Amino acid sequence: MLLSVVRRLATATVTLLLVTLLVFCLIHLAPGEPLGLEPDDEGLMRLGEQARAELRALYHLDQPLPKQYLLWLSDLARGDLGRSFHDRRPVVRKIAERLGVTLTLNACSLALLLLVALPLGTFAALNPGSGWDRFAAGGTYLLYAVPVFWAGLLLQILFSVQLGWLPLAGLRSYDHEFLLGLAGLADRAVHLILPIVCLSYSGLAYVSRFVRATLLENAAGDSWRAARARGLSLLGVLYRHGFRQAGVPLLTLAGFLLPSMVGGSVIVETIFAIPGVGRLFVDAAFQRDVPVLMGLTLLSGTATLAGILLADLAYVVVDPRIRRA
Amino acid sequence: MRERLPSNLSWGAVLLGLLAAVAVAAPWVAVDPARLDLDRVLRPPSTDHWLGTDALGRDMAARVLHGARVSLAVGLLSAAIALLIGLPLGALAGYRGGWADAAVSRMIEAMLCFPALLLVLALLAAGPRWFYGMSDVLRIALVLGLTGWMPAARYLRAEFLKLKRSEMVLAARAVGAGHLRVVVRHILPCALAPVLVTAAFAVGASVAMEAALSFLGLGVRPPVATWGGLLADAREQVDRAWWLALFPGVALFLAVLGCNLIGEGMRDLLDPRRSKARP
Amino acid sequence: MNMRSAGGIERVLPVTLAGLLPVLLLGCGVADRPPAREDGPVTIRVLMSHDPPNLSLIGKVDRNSQILAAQITDSLLRYDEHMELQPRLARGWEFSEDRLTLTFHLRAGVRWHDGRELSADDVIFSVEQARDPLVENRSFAPQFRDLVSMEAVDPLTLRTRYSVATPDVLDGWRLPIIPRHLAETGAALLTGEFARNPVGCGPFRFVRYRPGEEIVLGANDDYWDGRPRIDRLVFRIYPDQRTGYQALLTGELDLMTVTPDLWHEARQTEAGAHLDGFVYYRLSVWQVGWNLDGSNPFFTDPRVRRAMLLALDREKFNESLVHGLARPAATTFHPGSPWTDPTILPLPYDPDEARRLLEEAGWVDHDGDGIRDRDGRPFRFTLMIHASTQGINDHMAAWQQQSWAEVGIRAAIEKLEWRQFRERRRAHEFEAAMAGLSFTPSPDQFELYHSSERDAFNFVGLADPEVDRLLEEGRTTFDVEARRAIYFELQQRLHALQPIGCLLHFPTPVLHDKRLKGIVPSALDHWRITRGPREWYWVAEDLAG
Repeated sequence: MLLSVVRRLATATVTLLLVTLLVFCLIHLAPGEPLGLEPDDEGLMRLGEQARAELRALYHLDQPLPKQYLLWLSDLARGDLGRSFHDRRPVVRKIAERLGVTLTLNACSLALLLLVALPLGTFAALNPGSGWDRFAAGGTYLLYAVPVFWAGLLLQILFSVQLGWLPLAGLRSYDHEFLLGLAGLADRAVHLILPIVCLSYSGLAYVSRFVRATLLENAAGDSWRAARARGLSLLGVLYRHGFRQAGVPLLTLAGFLLPSMVGGSVIVETIFAIPGVGRLFVDAAFQRDVPVLMGLTLLSGTATLAGILLADLAYVVVDPRIRRA
Repeated sequence: MRERLPSNLSWGAVLLGLLAAVAVAAPWVAVDPARLDLDRVLRPPSTDHWLGTDALGRDMAARVLHGARVSLAVGLLSAAIALLIGLPLGALAGYRGGWADAAVSRMIEAMLCFPALLLVLALLAAGPRWFYGMSDVLRIALVLGLTGWMPAARYLRAEFLKLKRSEMVLAARAVGAGHLRVVVRHILPCALAPVLVTAAFAVGASVAMEAALSFLGLGVRPPVATWGGLLADAREQVDRAWWLALFPGVALFLAVLGCNLIGEGMRDLLDPRRSKARP
Repeated sequence: MNMRSAGGIERVLPVTLAGLLPVLLLGCGVADRPPAREDGPVTIRVLMSHDPPNLSLIGKVDRNSQILAAQITDSLLRYDEHMELQPRLARGWEFSEDRLTLTFHLRAGVRWHDGRELSADDVIFSVEQARDPLVENRSFAPQFRDLVSMEAVDPLTLRTRYSVATPDVLDGWRLPIIPRHLAETGAALLTGEFARNPVGCGPFRFVRYRPGEEIVLGANDDYWDGRPRIDRLVFRIYPDQRTGYQALLTGELDLMTVTPDLWHEARQTEAGAHLDGFVYYRLSVWQVGWNLDGSNPFFTDPRVRRAMLLALDREKFNESLVHGLARPAATTFHPGSPWTDPTILPLPYDPDEARRLLEEAGWVDHDGDGIRDRDGRPFRFTLMIHASTQGINDHMAAWQQQSWAEVGIRAAIEKLEWRQFRERRRAHEFEAAMAGLSFTPSPDQFELYHSSERDAFNFVGLADPEVDRLLEEGRTTFDVEARRAIYFELQQRLHALQPIGCLLHFPTPVLHDKRLKGIVPSALDHWRITRGPREWYWVAEDLAG
């Protein structure tokens, strides 16, 4: 058992390194070099050949590709992710700044999702076929079909432009530094409302229906009715015979969630002008900012693999039938 | 066995059929979507222009209708490519197990770790020259398909793993049925439902992904209208022209909804187990 | 929710609220905002769209950091609002007989913000750092490429020697000067203490920088040219324009650059009544480059190139999409510059003339399909554009497509990601490419038009001996009048040849509070000229007046 875990960890690490290598190659495949000018740059500013050569040497761009990758690896071994090509700030710092925002957003939207979906699904399972069940199913279904893009725009138009209740974009008000304590928190919260709603509504359908389906599958059996007859409270039955059986699929779900927690949604971040990981990634890709891209790949890759590993492990632990597989 | 089709399926088919019909009929029904009229810029919906005009005076109704063609084509094609890659791989991994499973699983993991956007960017921005000769729709569908096959593969692998050990399959094997027979006659019908469900959702997801690409400027090239491109344009005028965001979004929503309804309907139709749980 | 619980809520609610109230009041503190301007220090708040990449004043500059550098420190000379160079830290300069030696006489008594005196040694240090590739200064480094040596003859006299005699060497001396005794060298300049706390000799001193939030500058009481009339200059970093605009309307911001749409809106709303504004045109032009290397049969004929522009109704586009704020362009020379020939006007909108020219060049619709052709080849080409955050790029391309279709030309649009666009353009792998082009105030456009630069920035591949000659002469002529005549002739020639179709000069509208006065717009901007923020002042008058 332990052996297989160690083996899985080892293969995961190898996979991760392979992915970073692939990313490295891919970014160098894209035309244009990191040192090129941006559209806004002024003047006919071109560096002389010699100056350009010296810059390339500084960034190790003159070395053959395999050597550049090995240089990156050796820096990584020392815990150094290098400095961004764009503004020479340490990659770790750049990612860390954005990660906080992204994690907060994702955590809040996950919380909102669960807060709404769990009761919704449970209630639907307890009253299958009722008007409420159909309404919940229909409603969340419709919501799922709404593209995030559109939802963000519509919410902005409605709540910000027309009604003026919520801010249009950004994370904080203009004069946020003058708002202390609760007022400051409230300012932050108010700015996060629309993005969180955008991030969470599409999961409603899946999670609530999942909860409903899982509970119903197990409720169909006699054990459930018998347990109720024996006097177990509703909650107890739900737990013992409902959610416990849902262990495996739930854990798989959790495995999927981990990578999405550290990944920012580019669309939501762009619409609401939020400085998150998603935008950092897109900007780095467009600027060919190799160190930042490699750092972000490492981050998302680690999260993904960790999530998968956890889900698989849990799967094995929970379902003894698969254990021997 | 039901006597009539589940309502989901019929509604979904009707919706999607309507959209497809509109898409096909667009060149005859609508005015030229590329015709700009700098005198009629940003007009709200009126009798002249039912859905208003955009920043260049182009008729929004025409653009939305023509957008259906490209958006639906990209969605369907990319979903098809994703399934074409993902389903065989998933089935192989789930059924054969062993080395096949290990190889495919590692591949899936690697692809999942991979920042999809980077792959899309690299392929779209840096692809070989012949890549550009292709039609836009094909190019984007290819890229979306190549980056989106993993969920289908994983799902099918899980289903095959589960079904491989089901009594029905074990019984069939005991009787001496060959692998192929087992897969085709016993596993596929049960796995088909989730596959079709995945397919339906995949189309919806692809249409949405194309929208995201248009947002970043990598989508179908102008001046061809896609719903995603229209929404990206709408963003600039968000405080001035609500109609630019509303109508393409409704179209996108209906398309995704139609796909989802079909998916759910298929699931209800084909999966006997599920129908028991329904009221 | 049944009726029974409602009664309970009724009783509980007021008690809870009463209990929460003091907590809320205590928690919702509002810190002291800066005092009202009428009697306190004058703080001007300006919007900056993103953090500058570096604060070291010389390293890794972009436009924002250049603006900051111009406030925090000074240069030997600077442009004024008429684009003429004026002495600043240098009170005078002269060229030697052979024009290869340039001697500066520095002003005495200029002090750094820490009190030490400025000397020629600091100037030498600044140039050395700017030329160091590790410092990544792109705007000034190329301008010192012909510099051979520098010598501090005495603390206030700097002698510089160049390998080539050209009047534009003066342009490079707009370089911000940094103190040798405080700044690090090489790559450390970008990451060390100086980049966190830059010290200069300019009208404002650096107070603090909060990343993602603001940069605060305070007035320098000992500035050699007189203390600024405002006390603090605060750059609020806010990436979203619309929200910044709201702040401007409510008085939280005093000045910001806006889009033409917001400018138009401000002029129409009540809320914008307290705002004043101006529009200036940066040293840039939006242009279409025609590939002249012969790989396509269309654009080698100047008549065709001329016709392409005659078919575009720029005024109409301007009215409908830019609220009339843009200016049709004639050449790549900026209308506000003293080097620009004022007699050259933008080509008019004349589709009939366009059609005539096309027919004269042999492009006639022989087969009746609506597309002109010649020798069996239809006039179909691809216009290459790059993806950008503003939709105006796409709009222009669509508009051009339709305009050209009306004169029988079919253009397909190919949109590429920015770096890819640059690569393709540099490799001459295009037929027509549209983008913006930015310049320095110097009239020398050698890199853009000279035949020797075809592998570099001369992306259209122009090789005209007349143009080459004029460019070479213009570079080395010192007499201002003679130089001007040469560049006028060059512009006439370029206007006739139309190698680059100059479309529009896009506007930069600026809105500011009416009470903020003294802002002088220029082609460069209102920040980096001699009469910059240090001349701004605040008048606390009755707004209705």
